[in-house]
Amino acid sequence: MATITVTVNGKSHTSDVEPRTLLVHYLREQLNLTGTHIGCDTSQCGACVVMVNGASVKSCTMLAVQADGAEVTTIEGLARDGQLHPLQEGFWECHGLQCGYCTPGMIMAAYDLLQHNPAPTDDEVRHGLEGNLCRCTGYHNIVRAVQYAAAKMRGEQVTV
Amino acid sequence: MRRCSRTACSVSVPFLKNETMCERRKEAVTQNGSEFRYLGKGHRLVEGLEKVTGSAKYAGDLVLPGMLHARPVLSPYAHARITAIDVSAAQAMSGVVAVLTADDLPTRDRAVNSRHSAVLAKERVLFRGQPVVVVVGETEAAAQDAADQVVIEYEPLPPVVDVIRAAAPDAPVIWPNGLPKEGMDLTAAHAAVDKREQETAGAPSNIHDEAHYARGDVKRGFADADVVIERVYRTPMVHQGYLEPHASVAEPDPYRGSVTVYTSTQGQFGVRDEVARLLSLPKHRVRVVPMTIGGGFGAKYGIIDPLTAAVAVTVKRPVRLVLTRTEDFLSTTPSPAAIVELKVGARADGALTALQARVLMDNGVFPFTLGGIVSILLGGYYKCPNLQIDCYEVLTHKPQGGAYRAPGAPTATFAIESTIDDIARALGRDPLEFRLQNAAETGDPMGNNDPWPHMGLNLVLERLRDHPAWKEREAGPNEGIGIAVGGWPCGMSPAASVCRVDTDGTVRVHVGSVDISGVNSSLVLVAAEILSVPPEQVELIQGDTRSGPFAGPSGGSQTTYSVAGAVANAARAVREKLFQVAADHFEASAADLELRDGIVSVKGFPDKAAPIGELAAIAEGRAGGPGPIVAEGGAAVSENAPGFVAHLAKVHVDPDTGQVTLKQYVAVQDVGFALNPTMVIGQIHGGSVQGIGWGMYEAMVYDEYGQLLTASFMDYNLPAFDQVPDIEAVLVENRSPHGPFGARGIGEPPITAGAAAIANAVRAATGVRVTEIPIRAEMLWRAMREAQA
Repeated sequence: MATITVTVNGKSHTSDVEPRTLLVHYLREQLNLTGTHIGCDTSQCGACVVMVNGASVKSCTMLAVQADGAEVTTIEGLARDGQLHPLQEGFWECHGLQCGYCTPGMIMAAYDLLQHNPAPTDDEVRHGLEGNLCRCTGYHNIVRAVQYAAAKMRGEQVTV
Repeated sequence: MRRCSRTACSVSVPFLKNETMCERRKEAVTQNGSEFRYLGKGHRLVEGLEKVTGSAKYAGDLVLPGMLHARPVLSPYAHARITAIDVSAAQAMSGVVAVLTADDLPTRDRAVNSRHSAVLAKERVLFRGQPVVVVVGETEAAAQDAADQVVIEYEPLPPVVDVIRAAAPDAPVIWPNGLPKEGMDLTAAHAAVDKREQETAGAPSNIHDEAHYARGDVKRGFADADVVIERVYRTPMVHQGYLEPHASVAEPDPYRGSVTVYTSTQGQFGVRDEVARLLSLPKHRVRVVPMTIGGGFGAKYGIIDPLTAAVAVTVKRPVRLVLTRTEDFLSTTPSPAAIVELKVGARADGALTALQARVLMDNGVFPFTLGGIVSILLGGYYKCPNLQIDCYEVLTHKPQGGAYRAPGAPTATFAIESTIDDIARALGRDPLEFRLQNAAETGDPMGNNDPWPHMGLNLVLERLRDHPAWKEREAGPNEGIGIAVGGWPCGMSPAASVCRVDTDGTVRVHVGSVDISGVNSSLVLVAAEILSVPPEQVELIQGDTRSGPFAGPSGGSQTTYSVAGAVANAARAVREKLFQVAADHFEASAADLELRDGIVSVKGFPDKAAPIGELAAIAEGRAGGPGPIVAEGGAAVSENAPGFVAHLAKVHVDPDTGQVTLKQYVAVQDVGFALNPTMVIGQIHGGSVQGIGWGMYEAMVYDEYGQLLTASFMDYNLPAFDQVPDIEAVLVENRSPHGPFGARGIGEPPITAGAAAIANAVRAATGVRVTEIPIRAEMLWRAMREAQA
């Protein structure tokens, strides 16, 4: 066992973990943050994307011990003071989700994208999220959802 | 939790084409002469808040006190005899609670004749990935460590992998003594289509079923033809590719001898029945609770639940089993591969004269019959007086086939729509007008000679004809535009619902159907419309097998079509009761009452008015009244409402590499009436991209030993974000005569036409006719080179 201290969604956790434990398993099984999902074994699907020290990471590609000392944000930490993040609002308003299984990872990946590119074109959204799979929506409304959030985060009037 | 309906109502507007919206508004002025307030207008997903905040609970998120974890050990061979199983090393590892084989489970005496009943293998393994042993541990990691230490000795046997060889008279027979009798028919669960197959009599064979359909005289039909095109089409085994792998948690009650299964399923009652049968329990001792489902598309009808339940009952503690992606690819029920030999003839005036087909379905090691549906569609899109379709269902040493969104339709559609396109070309006809000339109409025979119920194939073609993407079509160098139609008979099933009103005015609607992608968001609008309350005031409660009123499985595009009528009838019965209470309270005649904005009032007397919550309170306190405001409603629709589409694809083909790029996609669909257009359009987007997956990307590939070469998302190409364009959804609202408010089944039709539309676009771009999907660059490049030579 190894002891790690990780700040997750603003809260510090000191935990004993097996050195082989993946970050996604630590979040889900030990911290009970089950909003981060597992859709594959090979880091293709992106359902497990979280932010680690400000950058998006597929949490199945990283060991929990590597997150020692890190700041982690999961989907559960995105809404503040009961207010949905513009991305959460956008996915809901624009029907950018159906079964919802890919949604948390998709939102976290989009969060990273908009940090780097606050005004992406539709093609840039598609390219920026190509590491996340969705089987339900055909991606069309996810592009709209991200554009909704981008506009709102730029302080523009959002009309849907 | 749920917010302002105004915002939500406007959500879908910018994503609709103006003409669509206008038409819907026009259509919405209807029944009772007034426009609907809520139905027909976009409303966001009712459980969206849970899903965007990560608080929705999927089966694999569930943690129960004392819960253990199961890990399966899968067969590495497609066909082998199990000669020894040594579990001692696994058993001795720390954190291991039990290592179980088939003989240890209460399912041990059941016949193994389907994927469901193949809980753990006995004596022989019959496909790569068949579960043989299950390890139960305190943690998933401990169970997996021990699973790796289980030693199983096999004597490999020759597998029958190739479907043509398997169907040959001299092939080794997979079930020489016939298949043990027991089990449930997945096809029947999926679509309300009569099957005319007959059990094959005579010598043992790998052909487990045949179906033969005929009308007229095909010989004479071909003799009358001026153009005859004969080809062999191949479609691959395709996986449903839901993002959430199969997951299930079972909790036993050893004192009552019962078990509760929390699972990711599309059909809770069917799972309940099958778990009960396999565990030899009465049905009332099995409770199935459908959790939020992370996609199903036809695959989630209880594949792992019998195993989870059997293990939990055996170890007497709650057990969770979540498949890995690779296990899911290996051990579930993908859509069968098929070979379609198709010959079609037409006269110079464009009339089809004959259609003949031989269909070979590769169903894996247990029977699964899709040939009937393939035949119905293959011979059903177009009027043709002479027809003969012979369909053979073949067994091979691969996992059993299963349903995948409009099962059989992409195969049938790829074949018939490729051929029809070339006949139009050979006759020098416009491909859309040629289709319109021959399009089947209500009452025309399907491939099995049953008449089509009310349908609108010609309407979707006419809409596409008038769409700028077709009307003003322009293809640049190496570009091509292709079209294809597709259809689905759509299922139906009797269903019931309970509706009640609480004293704060909250309307609760109970159903036993499973919401696999938005039906609940339409059902709330039905109750809101009838009781004239904002949709936010309606709570949809999805019951389990103990608490939910019956509904059929969520497959075959039947759920909204079947359940919405039950919800409507329950809400109407509630309205009656409210009127009864109000009439009594205001000393008025029920005929003088009206219900508007959730308030019942006496017409012309504005002071004589009460909100429905207040009436509920009055009803709950009044002796001798009608009792609390609760009512049930049922519906048993009497006829299917087929859904047809016309899709357009524009592609660019790189002449040096054969790489196909999809540039534009238009999906026209007859949806009957879109109860909640936001949900309907979402289904069209998603289904269309799955159809594109059939055409361009997806295939499960097995080698000659029956080993799956594409058992992860690294090798299995699920369409990705940057591999597909926007999907333009165009709604045609051709109301069904029997569906609730004219609705039709809408989930399945959008997947049907993609492969064919893309193949026809590739033909237009390159002059090359592709007869096998997915259309891969290398294959197309070779075909282009051959055509040049």
